Amino acid sequence: MTKEELISKLKTIVQPYIQNEDAFNNLSEATDFINDLKINSANLVDVILDVEDEFDIRIENDDMEKMTSVKAAMDIVNEKLAAK
Amino acid sequence: MIGNDIVDLKQAAKDSNWKRPRFLDKIFTPREQQLIWSAKDQDQMVWLLWSMKEAAYKVNVQQFGTRFFNPKRLECTLLSNLKGEVIIEDNRYFIESIITEDFIYSIALIASGKSYKSEWFLDHSQDYDAQSKCLKRSFLKTLNLDEVTIIKNNIGVPKLQHNSDLLDVSFSLTHHGAFSGYAIL
Repeated sequence: MTKEELISKLKTIVQPYIQNEDAFNNLSEATDFINDLKINSANLVDVILDVEDEFDIRIENDDMEKMTSVKAAMDIVNEKLAAK
Repeated sequence: MIGNDIVDLKQAAKDSNWKRPRFLDKIFTPREQQLIWSAKDQDQMVWLLWSMKEAAYKVNVQQFGTRFFNPKRLECTLLSNLKGEVIIEDNRYFIESIITEDFIYSIALIASGKSYKSEWFLDHSQDYDAQSKCLKRSFLKTLNLDEVTIIKNNIGVPKLQHNSDLLDVSFSLTHHGAFSGYAIL
């Protein structure tokens, strides 16, 4: 999967939970889920569960801990996919 | 230092399905899950524990300057209906909560019994930004200080700024659904 494909999949996953359209439209690796997209933290759990379902992976709490940005989510997904 | 968190129960019911597989496991320790399943009002218990963790987390971030997303690392204990504690590793936070049919509001402090000022209010504007602005305006109004603005530092913690100086004041802002609240030491 290319970087662009991964970003686009993550973008689809976060869309239902975002509270800032501008940040969503300009979503990049640097986008922060909470500070930029204003996703409420209970919904961040949904984002993580949706990522698990989409990529058929399991994210441990130690990995989840870092998943506050698009870049961090990409790193973790790539790592988990590589370990499959 | 002080942290607060408000949960609009109607909004939470709309936005989150906590019965979704693996949802509780990501957030709550086995002991907390026990509290939830044995509660008379399970929804209320989920969001009470959640707001306690959020409020405590906000203090922890101010103290140590590191953000993380791992609600399970914070463990709640209920001392009574409206008082509790949250432990993160070696740190203990004292929590006072308000529970109504419509919302749950928790305040976290490092020392119990410390005096603070806090208020919650209804805000029906549905837009996140409008609500955030209204909350900041209301909070600044109660401070009654001239030329003070609210900025966020590099890790997203709100600070009061006067001219170009950061004021050494701990406060916390929260809004969710139709409810907003602020707390200041």
